[in-house]
Amino acid sequence: MGKTRISGIQLFLLITGFLLGSRLIISPASESKTDGWLSILIAGAGGILLVTMYASIALLNPSRTLVEILRDRFGKIIGTIVAISYIWYFTHLAGLVFRDFGSFLVTTTYPRTPMEVIIAIFALTIIYAVNSGIEVMGRISEILVPIVPVLSLIIGASIVTTHDFTAFLPVLENGIKPVIKASLNLLAFPFGEAVVFLMIFPHLNKMKSLIKITTFSTLSVIGLFLYIFFRNIIILESHFLDQATFVPHLTSVLFPGLNLEPLFGVIMIIAGGIKIISAIYAAVMGLSQLIGAKDYRTFTTCIVAFSVILSIWVHENIFEVFNWAGNTWFYYSIPFQFIIPLILLFLSLIKKADPKPQDL
Amino acid sequence: MGDEAVFSRIKKQLGLGKQPNNSITTETDGPLSPNIDKVKERLNITFSECSDYVQREIVCGEDNDIKILVSYIEGLVDKKLLNQDVIRPILNYFSDTDRSGRAKSVYQLIKECIISNNEIHEIVNMSQAVYRIVSGDAVLFLNGSKIALTVGVKAPPGRQVDEPDTEVSIRGSREGFVENLSTNMVLIRKRIKNPNLKFEMIQLGTQTNTDICICYIKGIANDEIVNEVRRRVIKISSDAILDTGYIEQYITDNKLTLFPLVGNSEKCDKLVSKLLEGRVAILCDGTPYVLTVPYLFIESLQTADDYYDNAFFASFMRLLRLFALFISTMLPALYVALVSFHHAVIPFKLIITLAASRQGVPFSPFVEAILMIMAFELLREAGVRMPRTIGQALSIVGAIVLGEASVAAGIASNLMVIIVAITAICSFITPPLSRTIMYIRFILLIIANFFGFLGISLTVVVTLLHLCRLRSFGVPYMTPFSPLTASDLKDSFIMVPIWAMLTRPKALFEGETEDKAGIKRQEANRISEN
Repeated sequence: MGKTRISGIQLFLLITGFLLGSRLIISPASESKTDGWLSILIAGAGGILLVTMYASIALLNPSRTLVEILRDRFGKIIGTIVAISYIWYFTHLAGLVFRDFGSFLVTTTYPRTPMEVIIAIFALTIIYAVNSGIEVMGRISEILVPIVPVLSLIIGASIVTTHDFTAFLPVLENGIKPVIKASLNLLAFPFGEAVVFLMIFPHLNKMKSLIKITTFSTLSVIGLFLYIFFRNIIILESHFLDQATFVPHLTSVLFPGLNLEPLFGVIMIIAGGIKIISAIYAAVMGLSQLIGAKDYRTFTTCIVAFSVILSIWVHENIFEVFNWAGNTWFYYSIPFQFIIPLILLFLSLIKKADPKPQDL
Repeated sequence: MGDEAVFSRIKKQLGLGKQPNNSITTETDGPLSPNIDKVKERLNITFSECSDYVQREIVCGEDNDIKILVSYIEGLVDKKLLNQDVIRPILNYFSDTDRSGRAKSVYQLIKECIISNNEIHEIVNMSQAVYRIVSGDAVLFLNGSKIALTVGVKAPPGRQVDEPDTEVSIRGSREGFVENLSTNMVLIRKRIKNPNLKFEMIQLGTQTNTDICICYIKGIANDEIVNEVRRRVIKISSDAILDTGYIEQYITDNKLTLFPLVGNSEKCDKLVSKLLEGRVAILCDGTPYVLTVPYLFIESLQTADDYYDNAFFASFMRLLRLFALFISTMLPALYVALVSFHHAVIPFKLIITLAASRQGVPFSPFVEAILMIMAFELLREAGVRMPRTIGQALSIVGAIVLGEASVAAGIASNLMVIIVAITAICSFITPPLSRTIMYIRFILLIIANFFGFLGISLTVVVTLLHLCRLRSFGVPYMTPFSPLTASDLKDSFIMVPIWAMLTRPKALFEGETEDKAGIKRQEANRISEN
């Protein structure tokens, strides 16, 4: 399946956009209040380890996608079962991001529009993007993803008039426990979710630089998270940080005389969109490889539709979404993000993969 | 690709699959007869009811044994030249009886010693002879010879080389292409004095037999692209090729897109610079518009002036053009979205002015915008179709009277008039894209009315996705931005000075090879499967 290729910079931007994802609207590590920056650093360190692990799995099993690796290492039956659960996981992940996106827009900008409509028109765009193929996805990320940090910086720079640079003090006010909890959450969402890219890594044209690319993009995401955290806390102070639903959005509304809200919508569309197309692509690609279909495009529409229905159906309201993302998601993700990849890495290290018969 | 299949299906359903092949070749095929009377008879049948067909028989020699038939089309041939180069020398030579009985045959004599014209070709085929006659050569048939001679005595071209109306430049050459193909070729050759500049001639159109010329610089142009152009041009099956626009529609990569995937130009210097970048040009007899491929998105923002001027000014102008592109696509939609959905975004002071200007306007912003933009598009179309002098008057009347009156009558708000005016001005800045923009503007406007900023953003994303999907002759349309080609960014939104442009556009040499490699791999897979 390595016919289509993406370049290093395209993969870098895809991963960056993916990791930023919906974390941009749900403030990173808001549970640990003023110590969020500590959580970000801890989670970031863990994130680099995780992403490097995924990259090493890809390097040890050259030009194989996750589904193929699973079937190689676990045998046909167990491998297929695990692969199916991964496809479910990716679809669910896309559904959650859809839900984040819909909730955000319904809460902030479109209070009277049904969330289903908003998610549905977003989903149409996603279907078009995924059906365009991985090359086009890489190219669109080249154009769109750089906009995200630029807009974030613009929003930050326009609001520096109202600030309190000591807002993040005192350090460790509530002890280390909330910090650890927040960092574990942040580790599972978004860093661990990069397991999706095990389906995309084989498309990279220069496999040698894979670990460099993943590390670099994780680092830049950590940097941007830190920036966003400090921006928010400096402007809003900790008690606001705790109360607002969409913290970064609240920050952007504060600009005197002008409302930067639409810029925020753009950020959400780009980062969330990249995240969803990566997840959907992984799910659809996995499904088509599992079944042995020639073209993954057959499945895109139904997987997206399923994921949209899931997004609306799974949670009653925004608080449930947050509760799920904050408390349950980490435990739910443990097998997908940590256990299975660890076993895969272990098995791959023991026995090197035979080169694929037709490595074209 | 996918749309290719769609296109062929549509074609099949409409019954356009195959066109009747009733070209001139069918009736007149076959070798030339040595008997001149037979030739004459066949030509008379072929050219019956052609009042512009002329033939003259020359009988001379010692015993009137040399018979020559000269055939041509009146008007296409310069009569003076024909007399001076062909007929008079023949008559003079053979009237002098001493010289007629030399070692050489009459045919060789005529070809090598008598005719004082440089453009002589031998033909052995009746259909070739007919083709030569209708394309403006004089053809000499000799009694007793199976070979006829064509003499290039074409009448001088119609229009003088002139400054093109469609592409005006402040600096640089004012020479534009004309309708005559050979003049156009001369114009190019004059600028590139190099034998590597190649002109490949192809005849297209079963009825018109139009001369098409593929032009490139060997060694600079990517061979794969040249082959691809050749392949696609030869594949065209059409009754008539009247303009390069016909060719453009046949050879474009994606037949169902709004964006131009083939460039066209009337300016010689612009075309030459494109050839030097490694592009391939397609010239067509009878039109001053020359096609260039591959055509990339960024070329819509480039003008010839950019390169002649200081790079700092040029870069600024490029950014301005990009901004204009953005404004002319988005502004009305943004206004509608702001006024209908996102009041909170508008600064407070502006919202008061806005409310005041919209007071008394009975329509929603969307209807107001559609009305005004439609009025503008109508004016523009009328201005294009009208004779130039009336067109100007019309645009003034339209601009002043309609704008003022619609505000006074309470149909549109002041702000809307300003917005449509700015949009209109900006849409003239990037001519190759202006019609594409018009489409997208309407789509955005409708979507903005239903979904606000969300709809606008998603439509822009879909448009960008579409742009990323497009390829022009294998080269991704959005290069150098995506895929990012760092060395080609020197000539994008920001332009570096001409002395710093050290390399040719890399994209033109990589895209196709990548694609070709993919096709080869697919083929290999297919073979291995079988």
